Amino acid sequence: MTDTAHKGSIQLSEESRVLPSGEREFMMDVSTADLEVNMGPQHPATHGVMRVLIRTDGELVTGAQPHLGYLHRCAEKIGESVEWLQYLPYTDRYDYLSAMNNNLGYSLAVEALMSVEIPRRATMLRTICAELNRIASHLIAFGTYGLDIGAFTPFFYAFREREWIQSLFEKICGARLTYSYIRIGGVFNDAPPGWLKEIAHFCDVFEEKWKEYYTLLIENHIFVQRTANVGVVPREMAFDFGLTGPMLRGSGVDFDLRRDLPYMIYGEIWDAGAFRIPVARGEKGTLGDCWDRTWVRVVEMMESLGIVRWCLDAIEDGPVIGEIPKVIKVPAGEAYVGIENPRGELGHYVVSDGGKVATRCRVRGPSFTNLAVLEDLLPGTLLADSIAIIGSIDIVVGETDR
Amino acid sequence: MDFQAIHDHLRARGAPGLIAADEPRAPNKKEKDPGRSGHSFVTVEPGKWIEFLTLCRDDPRLGFELLIDVTATDPKADDPNLWVNAELLSVSHKHRLSIKTLVPKERPVIASATAVYRAAQWHERECAEMFGITFEGHPDPRNMLLPDDWVGHPMRKDYEFPKEYHGISCE
Amino acid sequence: MGLFENTFEENVLTTKVDWLLNWARLNSIWPMTFGLACCAIEMMAVGAAHHDIDRFGAGAFRASPRQADLMIVAGTVNFKMGERVKRLYDQMPSPKYVIAMGACATGGGPYFKYGYTVMKGVDRIIPVDVYIAGCPPRPEALLEGLMKVQEKIRRTAVVRKPARTA
Repeated sequence: MTDTAHKGSIQLSEESRVLPSGEREFMMDVSTADLEVNMGPQHPATHGVMRVLIRTDGELVTGAQPHLGYLHRCAEKIGESVEWLQYLPYTDRYDYLSAMNNNLGYSLAVEALMSVEIPRRATMLRTICAELNRIASHLIAFGTYGLDIGAFTPFFYAFREREWIQSLFEKICGARLTYSYIRIGGVFNDAPPGWLKEIAHFCDVFEEKWKEYYTLLIENHIFVQRTANVGVVPREMAFDFGLTGPMLRGSGVDFDLRRDLPYMIYGEIWDAGAFRIPVARGEKGTLGDCWDRTWVRVVEMMESLGIVRWCLDAIEDGPVIGEIPKVIKVPAGEAYVGIENPRGELGHYVVSDGGKVATRCRVRGPSFTNLAVLEDLLPGTLLADSIAIIGSIDIVVGETDR
Repeated sequence: MDFQAIHDHLRARGAPGLIAADEPRAPNKKEKDPGRSGHSFVTVEPGKWIEFLTLCRDDPRLGFELLIDVTATDPKADDPNLWVNAELLSVSHKHRLSIKTLVPKERPVIASATAVYRAAQWHERECAEMFGITFEGHPDPRNMLLPDDWVGHPMRKDYEFPKEYHGISCE
Repeated sequence: MGLFENTFEENVLTTKVDWLLNWARLNSIWPMTFGLACCAIEMMAVGAAHHDIDRFGAGAFRASPRQADLMIVAGTVNFKMGERVKRLYDQMPSPKYVIAMGACATGGGPYFKYGYTVMKGVDRIIPVDVYIAGCPPRPEALLEGLMKVQEKIRRTAVVRKPARTA
């Protein structure tokens, strides 16, 4: 985009009058043009390196064009170049806020091609870690969204709980952010003694703290005014753009992969009634606005606690990894497995020709697909509202760019 | 509906361009068949891509409201075809469908599915720059993830990694 | 500092003046929010209450490069972003410092071999003062990196003539 500054023209008209003070007052005819402003790639509120070219008419946004690729790290090419297990650390790094879920998606896709039996304890540990990671990811979404809106306090509260979750993960796998814990065939390490008890204690404490988050931010009337009726995504638009996850449930569509197309033991957990699926109802404004999406994320945190508690009750001793060879050679074939990431459906499409290296490892990141609505949502809003909309989509640029 | 039922319904409705259903099969030593693992998919002619997707979206028993993914695969460096894969999901019926079509490498052109599903717009842009496929009728065919002056299509199997870019070494 | 920069011989008075100026500068380093990828999350964790960076005086993260002293390049730099990194570095006023946080900013990280669009280290385009290893480095590692930058500032000759390297 080349044309930049304000191209205005001022015409001084012939009409003038003399004021009581003796000065002469002229009438002016001012015509203005749209201003093209570049938002990003370095910007405090774009959730990473994303660039949005915004055309504004004063404070009103008349056009928006997102530009991606500032964090393109060639994940899919790497998938075709390194061995199956060697690719696992790269899976952590696309949606780095929910690395456990990424590992899980990739492992499930590869296991769909192999015929390996996953031990039950491994599945339980996988579920516990995936749900704790969902809580951690939604905590950041909620904390940084408050930061974008201008509320600094929820960010610190969210990080307080997140540090606890990160230290729990560090105890089980040694890493705070990019775990590579859920591996092909099971999980890599068994829980150290006392870990499960600490998680039970965490669940109890978190339930109390959750009420704080709800009243501090979600029910806060300034937050409500900033986010209700802003960035409304109607149901048809959500379907047309292929939105999944909280964006879909925030538009009133009752669909969650954990219940409707269950993987691992989620079907069993649902039948036991351990969790519910929050679907927005348009409480504070129009159905499908930013408040609804944030509400879905915050309530999902609570439901994840239910899943974790069920797993803590049901977990038994046993092996944590199945019978897999040291060098994995996956039988020829192709499979697509989609799981419910905190941001939507994370899909892995893996193609194997029977060798040690994948033929294709396609990653379908939910943030990439969810972000496409920006081109349609931003025009017609005020500039401050556009920040609220970008924050409510909850993107992670590692996933949009892979 | 499971895959068999979806495929039978597609056959019954006379889905345009439907070639076959490819299902996983165990290895068979007698017929020298190495077998195939994984999930099932249907293969479609590239010329009828749009009609097929429109049927999947509009038919009430199929009801695929969401386009999850449009991507491509380069199976081998000496393979004359590229695969274009699409994933569909139905929220109302809770089923999935994987679709594959073959596009020749000398003339990798296929119609754009943007008119059917808006979600295809960004996925096709990425496909185009990574594999060199032209999506006819795409409203905005710019580079998505790569810099605008990038040379080559990285996801092809015969791609050579560049040595330098704008004076900075790539090694 | 302009007129007085690097003009005086080293003596008791100028050493004390330099000590005071450096003390003021190193206890109020303002970083720029330059989180690119996963390391940005650990940088945010450093900014949060548990590993508080504000006790080092460096808690005021400025979004604009013109108001920042320190650029913590946290994450992978690829060619498309590299042009912007250089531009932002040029926009920072002196004295400025750069921390290359994480394996990607140091030398390409895990994308070293097959990342065709990844710049193998941010020091190919801007001068880096401190490298922090890790993928991502622990918040304590970032704090140690910050302390190393502080040591570098402590040794700076502001009003004194720079030390002669024989």
